Formats: sequence, C-alpha cells, structure tokens
Amino acid sequence: MRLLWSQGAEASFRPGEFFGRKEELSSLLRVCLEGKSGIGASVLIYGPPNVGKSSLLLKLKSEIKSLPQSTAPPCPFPFYYSFSNILSHPLALSQHFLQEYLWQLLVFLGESPPAAFDLDSLCDTLAARGHMECREYLSAHRRYSEKGDGLSALANAFSFPFATGGELLYPIFLFDDFQYTIKLQNIPEGAIFSILRPYIKAGHFPMIVSGSSPGHVTSSLKREGLYGSFQLLEVGGLSPDASVKAWGPLFERRKIRIPESLAVRAAARLGHIPIYQRMLAEEISFRNVRIEDEVEFENQFALSVTEGKLNRYWREFFENAIPDRVNRARAIKFLKRVIYDRFPIDTFEGAFSLMGTSPEEGSEILSALEFKGLLKSDFEHIEFVRDPVLADFLFWAFERGVLGKNTSQVAASIVQAKIAHGLQEESRGGQEASAEMAKEMMRRWDCRDVPALLFDFGKFHEKYSDKGLLEILIGLEEDPRRVRLPKISSVSKGYRTLRGGSRFDFDLVAYGFHDGDFSEENLVIWAVDVNTEKKLAQSAVEHFENRCRLLSLDKGLKPGQLRKWIFFEGAWDAAVVGLADRYGIHLTHRTQMRLFLNLFGMQELEKVPEERRPPEGRPGDKPLEFELVLPMKADTEVVAARVAEEVAAYASLDKDTVDRIKMAIIEACINAFEHSEAETGKVRLRYVLSPERIELFVQDEGKGFRAPAEGDESKRNRGWGLKLISELVDEVHIETGEHGTTVRMVKNLHPASDDGSITTNSEG
Amino acid sequence: MKTREAGEGTSVVYVNGYLNSLLGEEVERVVHDLLEAGRPRVVLNFEGTRLINSIGISFIIGIVERMAERNGTLAFCSLNRINQDLFRMTGVSRYVRAFDSEEEAIAFFAQAV
Repeated sequence: MRLLWSQGAEASFRPGEFFGRKEELSSLLRVCLEGKSGIGASVLIYGPPNVGKSSLLLKLKSEIKSLPQSTAPPCPFPFYYSFSNILSHPLALSQHFLQEYLWQLLVFLGESPPAAFDLDSLCDTLAARGHMECREYLSAHRRYSEKGDGLSALANAFSFPFATGGELLYPIFLFDDFQYTIKLQNIPEGAIFSILRPYIKAGHFPMIVSGSSPGHVTSSLKREGLYGSFQLLEVGGLSPDASVKAWGPLFERRKIRIPESLAVRAAARLGHIPIYQRMLAEEISFRNVRIEDEVEFENQFALSVTEGKLNRYWREFFENAIPDRVNRARAIKFLKRVIYDRFPIDTFEGAFSLMGTSPEEGSEILSALEFKGLLKSDFEHIEFVRDPVLADFLFWAFERGVLGKNTSQVAASIVQAKIAHGLQEESRGGQEASAEMAKEMMRRWDCRDVPALLFDFGKFHEKYSDKGLLEILIGLEEDPRRVRLPKISSVSKGYRTLRGGSRFDFDLVAYGFHDGDFSEENLVIWAVDVNTEKKLAQSAVEHFENRCRLLSLDKGLKPGQLRKWIFFEGAWDAAVVGLADRYGIHLTHRTQMRLFLNLFGMQELEKVPEERRPPEGRPGDKPLEFELVLPMKADTEVVAARVAEEVAAYASLDKDTVDRIKMAIIEACINAFEHSEAETGKVRLRYVLSPERIELFVQDEGKGFRAPAEGDESKRNRGWGLKLISELVDEVHIETGEHGTTVRMVKNLHPASDDGSITTNSEG
Repeated sequence: MKTREAGEGTSVVYVNGYLNSLLGEEVERVVHDLLEAGRPRVVLNFEGTRLINSIGISFIIGIVERMAERNGTLAFCSLNRINQDLFRMTGVSRYVRAFDSEEEAIAFFAQAV
C-alpha cells in the first residue's frame, strides 16, 4: 500500500496548458544544470497562493527530464516533493519522504513502479540496479521511529538522497509548499534547512524551494546563514501574451467563443492568473452564457465573484485560513481596506491599529495570512498581494458582512449599487415626484422629534378622521408619542442591489445614524415605497414586506435597524392597515404627508421644486445623478473623493481624469469647510454623469464666499484651492450669496480645447 | 513618520498617506529636525502618498522656503502623475527637482557633494 501517497498537484498538472514564464524557466534550468559542476545555486520561489508556483516546478521537472541524454553522467534527477500533504508529525513526514524519493527515483531509472508500496522492496530494486545499498539507512530510520525520535528520523530521511546517486546522477530538489514545514510538531522552525545545510553549501545539489510564506522561510535561511546562498524569485501573474494564449485550450475544450479583444481584456481583469482563467472558463461553460461584449463579461465576472466559482474559491480559502469567525471577519475587513481601498500600510503596528486588535490577536491573523501567501513580511515590513479578483471578493465580502461600519463604505456601496442599475430607472410620473419630495424631506430630518402619529395611519385615522387641519395640528403638538428621526447621510432613489434586480427594488432607501453618531450600532436603514394606486392593496404590503425581509437578510441587519415605510394616496381598508401594523410597517397617507412637509417647511406634493431637476438635462441620454451629504469634519472630503472615484469608474474614465476629478472635489470640499461657516455643518454634493461630461456640485449653506484679498499675508502659502480646481477641471462656476455657495465643476469627457475658467456670480 | 539616512547629510522622508494639514505639519517638523541635526539634504519620497490637498501643498511650500533659508537642498521622488501635476500647477516644481526613484535622487545628492 502506498501510505499517504497522493499525486496532488502532479496529477492535475497539464504540461500542454503551461504558458509563458520562459525567463523564469530558463534561469531555473541553468541553476539546476550547474549542479553538475558544483556551482549550482538554490532558489526560493514565492508568490501568492495558486499563482502557478507548483506548475512552474512541475514544468521545470518535465523540462529536466526531457533533456537530451547525450551528456556524460552524472545526470540530473528532478525530485518533486510537496509538503502540503504531509502530516504534521515528523515521523510521518520522514517515512513519506523516503517512500516518495525511492519511488520517483525508480521511475526515473526506468523501473515500472512496484504494485505494493513497500520501502524494503523499493530498496531491493534500487540495490539491484547497482545504485546503493540502502538497507542500512532504512534500518536506522526504523530505529529512530521506534524510539519516537522525530528529529533524527528527519535527518536520516533528508540525508538519504545525497547517498543514492553516486557517479550516475545527482538529485535536484523541487520542494513545494515549503511553508508547511513550520507546522511540524516538536521540531524547531528551520530544522530542515539545518539538515540540508551542508548539501546546499556544497553546490552540487540545486534546491528550488517554493512557498507562499517567504517571510518564514527567509528568516529560517537567515538563522542558518544560508540566505546568501539563495536567489529569490517572485512569481506573479503571467505576461499579457501568455495569459491570452492560455485562454486557447480552455475555450477550445469547452467550445466557448469570445472575441479576441475581449480575451485580452478578460485576461487582464483576472490579473493574468491562470487559475482564475480556468475557473471563469468553467463557469462560462457551466452557465452556458454567451459573452460578446465587455458588459457581458463584467456581468459574468461579477456574478462569479459574488456567488459563483471565484466566490467559492476565496470563501473557502478564508474559511480554511482563519477558521475563527470573528477573526475571519476582522481579517476580511482589514484586507478590504488594504487591498481594495489601497490603504498604504507596511508596518505591523499600522496593521494592528487598522485591525483594532491587540498585537497578540493581530499577529495571529497576520501570520495566518502570511502562511497562506496573502502577505509577505520581512521583519519590520509587510507587503500585501495585489490581486484584482481578491480585491473584488473582499469588497463583496465586506459589504455582506459589515455594511455600515463607516460612512465611506456605505457611500461607496450605495453608489456601486446604483450605478449597476441606475440606467434602468424609469420615469414613473406622479410616483417619481412623490419620491423626489420624500427624498428632499428625509434629507432634512437630522435627529428631530416628530409625532409618532404621522407614521401610523391606523391610529391617526382613528383619532383625527373627522377633524379639521388646525385641530389636527394642535392635537399633534400635544401628542406625547414621538419618533426621533435619524441624521440621514444619504438617500437614493430606485435602490437596487447588484444581484437579483427587482427583488430589492424600493422607491427610496436612506441610510442614517441615530443621535448623529456615525457608528455601526447606530446605523439605520429606511426602505420606502410610494404607492400611487387607487387603492392600497394587501398584495402591495405583502410584496413590500417580503423585499424588506430579503434586504434585512442580505445586509445582516439586526431587528430595528431596518425601518419600513409606505406612503399611499388612494383608498384603503382596515385589513390592509392592520396587516402593515402587524409587520411593523410605517404607513402614511397623503394627509399625514402634508403635515410632515409642513413640519419641514416644504411645499405641497404637486409642486416639484425647480432645483431638483437635473441641470442642463438633454434629450436622449438621461444624466445619472448621485448625491451625498457630508458632515464638515476633518478628512470627510476623502469620502467625497471616494464616491467620485466610483462614479468615474462607471464612465470608464482613465486614471488621470479620475485623479483630477478627485482632487478637484477634495479642494472644493476643503474650501466649503474653511469658508462657509455654515450652521448646518453639512456640505451637499451632487455628481451628475452624462456621456459628454461629469459635473460636480459642492454646496454649502454658509454665509457666502469672497475671494481672498490680494496680499493677505495672514495665510501665507495658502489659497491654492481655487487655482488648483480651475487647472484640474474644464469649467468652474461659483454661485455665492448670503444663503450659501455652490461650486459647480465640469470635466468634459471628450477632449476639448476649453481651458480652465472660473466664473463667479454673487447674489448681493 | 518613517525616515532613513542615505549617505552623508542626506535623509529620505517617506510621506505615506493623505498629505493634509496633519501630515503636512508632521513632514514640516521632521524636516526641521533634520536641518537642526545638520542633515541639509532631504529627499521626500511620495511613493506611499495617496492624496495631496492644497493645505498639504502649502506645507511643502513652507518646507521649500525653509530649506532655501538654511541652504539645504530638497528633492522629490516617486511622484505619481497627478501629484506631479499638482506640484507643477502650484509652481513648486520650479524650485525642487523631482526624480523617478529614490535611488536616482540619492545618487544626485551623492554627486553634488
């Protein structure tokens, strides 16, 4: 029986589907062949998980084996050994290693592999070939095993290959998944290098060590004084050419046809990493979809990352790497910031503080990530992999797990959700106008107390159905029951999540925070439907409730975090009102709505305010509009920039344009923070995206803006904001007066000769 | 803030993160301390700089002025495109040499000594 024997990576390796890495292969081959003359070096290969390190080793093995036999002995014998499938007990490892070595050596020498995997018979076959008398080794190994002396058994096993070759061959070690050696029980880290040290130094036995955790390996090498003997080789994605070629057999076998230009884009999207290419090809074939343009590809990719193969791949990876749920969530949140948001971090202290953990807990997480190859560390420095697929997965995982942790993520996720389906929004006449009005009203909430009866149609009707408006107003003022409204950070119309389309379709979704405290505990989400049917039907309430439950599930909301609210204008019956009450849905009729509007100093429903219409709306393409309200707090302008980035991403703008837009909006926000002295303490931002241009509006309700007087020395070196804005965008318009300032910035998306210009318009 | 010594009298300061007033102040302090310590050549490495705002730039201008007063030399390195543009727009680039890499900046100083 071949105990513990598994072909693993070797069996699944397809040499015909190995592309690229020519340079790496030729330099590795050179190193291996130089072993013959005693100047062979050793190489440490490292790189993220599944990037193709094992394939590289196996390809190297097959290259060495296929070398012409004409050269004089000793000839190179490539021995591939993966530490990933060993048990953590040193005796098991040494036994397995001996078996594997003997087996591969016999196969190399042209013996047909014995049916039974028995060390003694393997040894006899080898001796019969005149290679060596290995029984002595084996009996020594048995003695150590019986005594339970793991270290000696390991030393015995790992020295064995060096005695086998004689004049005829020299072994080349291709050690894969070397990071697992640090998990050996009762064996000090680096013990294997201690054993191998004299052979490495000899230069006759080239060693190619591959692993995802170079930090551990290099520190072992340093301890053993071997660091200088190793060359480091980092393996990343393939070259663009090679990865496009790699699509060939993947598509051919599955009869997938996609346009050539798309294959190039798709390979780049996947970071040129072969395993992703394979998974996506499998997924396309499994779902039997046709991919003919970029949008279809992006959709398929997003589907795979959120619920398909790419998702499963990384989900299982994290479940396996960090079994503890709490730590896993921490790691995902942390990695999301570092990899997706590109938060620059290169020290352990920085990582711990970003994770919000003690160094002990943080080290545990970092070492799990390092073991799995997502980061590499070198004493003080840490560096994370840059993997586009992982980044998208992390964004998804974060959204799912801890939505609402802080405002920038919330804002970004809303925009993401919106841009995914924003174009499908349909104009729905009266309903649209009502939603628009409600949206404006919700923005004005800001931690105010309002009579609870305005949300509860049943009780309101019971109490005031035969009363006049004045009577109702007085009654409401004296009503002791109040609802404290949250401070609303963002309201969007036509909210849809990325998946499932209409399942999550609400007329309005607002994100707010109780007591104005921007923390997860205080996050509250309002889902709102505007019903303009002649009669409010039971099915409409049921349908709304079902969508709310799905949203709650999807976002992992705790009870009370989701507030459900239906406005209606038509008739009703008691059963429907009772049903809404049972589900805890706020129900507000048009009459109540009027009172609400009155409370917030707004006009009647029928009138849509002028300023709410999209600026310079043109026929044909309807501009996409995003809004954001920011508190005037230090560094919140970064949130504005982040949202701008998301909006720009939707228009597929080049990085330079995106950077310019980001900088312009940051400067406009800082100006508003510095000059407006607004009592509301808020800045309102609007991003309007049309095919020709992106318009950015930054509005404050402060006391107006005056250009600084020439020669004002009080703020030396300052006052660059406006100048920069005018350089960064194509047009700047400033409307300022005693009720506030609006800065409108326009960036044309198609090259134009228009140079930056500023126009200022003062009201008074 | 991370700094390192790179040869006689030359130091590299790593401006990592969002160069706003907070970070700007810190850079100013670090450069001031270097000047006080008799290290007149400073390379500001912007590789890890995510964003720069105008307040951050005003601090950099302050640093340029102080370096000039104290006969020090300042260089930038590893600026990305947008940050390069920002320094160009504000005219800072007329007074400070920018290099693609830290090595080039250090080599430049080494020659100048």
